[in-house]
Amino acid sequence: MDALRRLRGSNNEGVLALVLLGLVVAMSIANPTFFTLNTGFAILRSSIVPVVFALGVLVVVITGGIDVSFAAIAIFAGYATVSFCLTVGFDPGLAGIFAIAIGVGALLGLVNGIVIARFGLPTLIVTLGTQGIFFGAMYTYVGASYYAELPGSMAALATTNLVDVTTASGRAYLHVLVVPVLLLCVLVSLVLKRTMFGRSLYAMGGDLEAARRAGFAVKRTQVWVYVAVGALAAIAGVIHIVLSRSANPRDLVGGELDIIAAVVLGGASIFGGRGSVIGTVLGVLLVQVIKNSLLLVGVPSAWLRTAVGVLLVVGVGVQAIAARRKSRRMRVIDDADPVQSQPEMKVGS
Amino acid sequence: MSPDTDTRTERRASADRSPRALNDRLGQFTRGFLRRPGASPSAARMVVALLLAVVLFSVLNPRVFLSPINLQNISVAAPEIGIIALAMMIVMLTGGIDLSLVAIANFSAITISTLHTAVSASDPALAASLAPVIVLAGVVVGMLGGAINGFLVSVVGITPILATLATMQIYNGLAIVWTGGSTLYGAPEVLGAIGQAAVANVPLLFLGFLVIAILVAVLVTRTSLGRMIQLEGANSVAALYSAIPRRKVLLRTYTIAGALAGLAGVVFLARNPTASADYGSSYVLLVIVIAVLGGTNPTGGFATVAGVVLATLTLQVVSSGFTAMRLSSYEYAIAQGVILIAVMIFDAVSASRTRRPRAARGRPPGGNPPASASVPVSEN
Repeated sequence: MDALRRLRGSNNEGVLALVLLGLVVAMSIANPTFFTLNTGFAILRSSIVPVVFALGVLVVVITGGIDVSFAAIAIFAGYATVSFCLTVGFDPGLAGIFAIAIGVGALLGLVNGIVIARFGLPTLIVTLGTQGIFFGAMYTYVGASYYAELPGSMAALATTNLVDVTTASGRAYLHVLVVPVLLLCVLVSLVLKRTMFGRSLYAMGGDLEAARRAGFAVKRTQVWVYVAVGALAAIAGVIHIVLSRSANPRDLVGGELDIIAAVVLGGASIFGGRGSVIGTVLGVLLVQVIKNSLLLVGVPSAWLRTAVGVLLVVGVGVQAIAARRKSRRMRVIDDADPVQSQPEMKVGS
Repeated sequence: MSPDTDTRTERRASADRSPRALNDRLGQFTRGFLRRPGASPSAARMVVALLLAVVLFSVLNPRVFLSPINLQNISVAAPEIGIIALAMMIVMLTGGIDLSLVAIANFSAITISTLHTAVSASDPALAASLAPVIVLAGVVVGMLGGAINGFLVSVVGITPILATLATMQIYNGLAIVWTGGSTLYGAPEVLGAIGQAAVANVPLLFLGFLVIAILVAVLVTRTSLGRMIQLEGANSVAALYSAIPRRKVLLRTYTIAGALAGLAGVVFLARNPTASADYGSSYVLLVIVIAVLGGTNPTGGFATVAGVVLATLTLQVVSSGFTAMRLSSYEYAIAQGVILIAVMIFDAVSASRTRRPRAARGRPPGGNPPASASVPVSEN
């Protein structure tokens, strides 16, 4: 029983993995072309950018906040960097490009963080506002033109593959950027699990006031969280530009829901205090697999948006009902706190 | 003025009916009106903001901005945004948020357009006589969309932001599938006529908007449902202890918001006999800006219809002023974001100002002052 519980994971990661596995098996039976190295690598490749975004969203969601400006930050940082390199006509190399972009992203994140922490404002509405500001500022002051040519180092990275094999159904490529993204996942996971900073995020998400009284520097941590999200978003922005081999200022913004949906499906609680990197990665993979399968089954791409919405309702709805049932059970045990029956109350993890 | 003196004046006022007592009572009524949290100050602030905006753009570009056509444009464009903003306000009163309102409005417009085209293809005269039914169908579709939101929020227990984020995608996705991503043409002629009509140079649409605003105000301030909505948002635990039927209140709130969004869809068609899935995608942020600017507390409990109506007009003035100044829609997006954040910072700072005297006297022993206003977690 204990082993079973451990397999299930503290945020139902096991259940998610099972659903994912079931979906893959079902799809492979329904359509043999699904179960090929090509499809697998394609899904991994399309997951690279969402995973980096999702890591950032996960960090905010754990603290009990939400950020909808990350896509605007990503495209701002990536596009501004490329635009700067191309107009100045100098290529700082990959490290340089990532450094500039991360600097820009962190700065934009700092704006979010300061406004939210200093004045204690609702995170959703602040980031909705900054999303408009960042996107408008990019169009107005950075530029709105489409760059088909990238700086040399980025263009070289775009065509570098880690694995390049020829299979029965054609050649399959695994992009080299999968490796740094995996490392990033491990890094975020270590920070969340093994550092005081990571623990303070969970503490803040569990109960902000309790975390403050326990001696955490709540406001400072909050600022750092949004800086981190900005930096992660900037990395995702640069990777997106590399993978699409062009810098289009219209990209990314508008796809925030898919990321948030994936993070929430991955077991992170929107109220804060819960969530894991493994669950988040599984959530992103699930969304990507479903997108891919819908296309393979022949469902028109117009249905994709509806499908993600339905997925979100089902995933979150199941969580909400389970949480309520759990709180009801807790009430039976210690019949003292009538507030427990409120469905939206946080359930101690 | 402490609450003690208030109750004493009240007692005296009810005791005798001399003119002085009447005067006292009147004074008390106005004082009470002015002190109602978030009520008049926000409306008064918006009057100032509206005047400032009008004066600013009149000075900067009087020829374009003050032209009758521009003013008419403002009053024709305001209703659809204003109605959605009122819907957002009602939902925000409960401490929730509804991101799917614009998608619902589009769905309603698409429903009306499709029904009209289908009926008039076989019999144009029948379509004209059935116009009220067709329009009603659109509003009902909006109500249904809102009821689904309400069901997810109240019965299933999903956080409003996630539930409506999901339904926004679902309604929008269904609308794309339905229309095939293209724009539909055709709407009942009556709607077009209403969209063109004006009473004493004031567009009929604008008058309709004012009527709806008054109805919403009556709902919020004069009905028991409105009271329950406000208490639910101000303090949901207190509402629970007051035996307020939480589920029923939330369900009705979101249904009403959906119906209002459906009406906004009718206004879309009245302005322009076309319907598409992507119309007004920038409205999602805009209506939140309007609601917050109009004095709606995003954590629930407090809002005024007058504030929201004035905020709608202010932002329309700013928008058309930007156009008159030849600034791009992206610069308008920046302005929206800056206004939204500036207003919230202003509110936060002034709220902490009014609290400061108590805090300055030293913290009460054994605990800190309640930090609820400075806790930035509850945006759901």
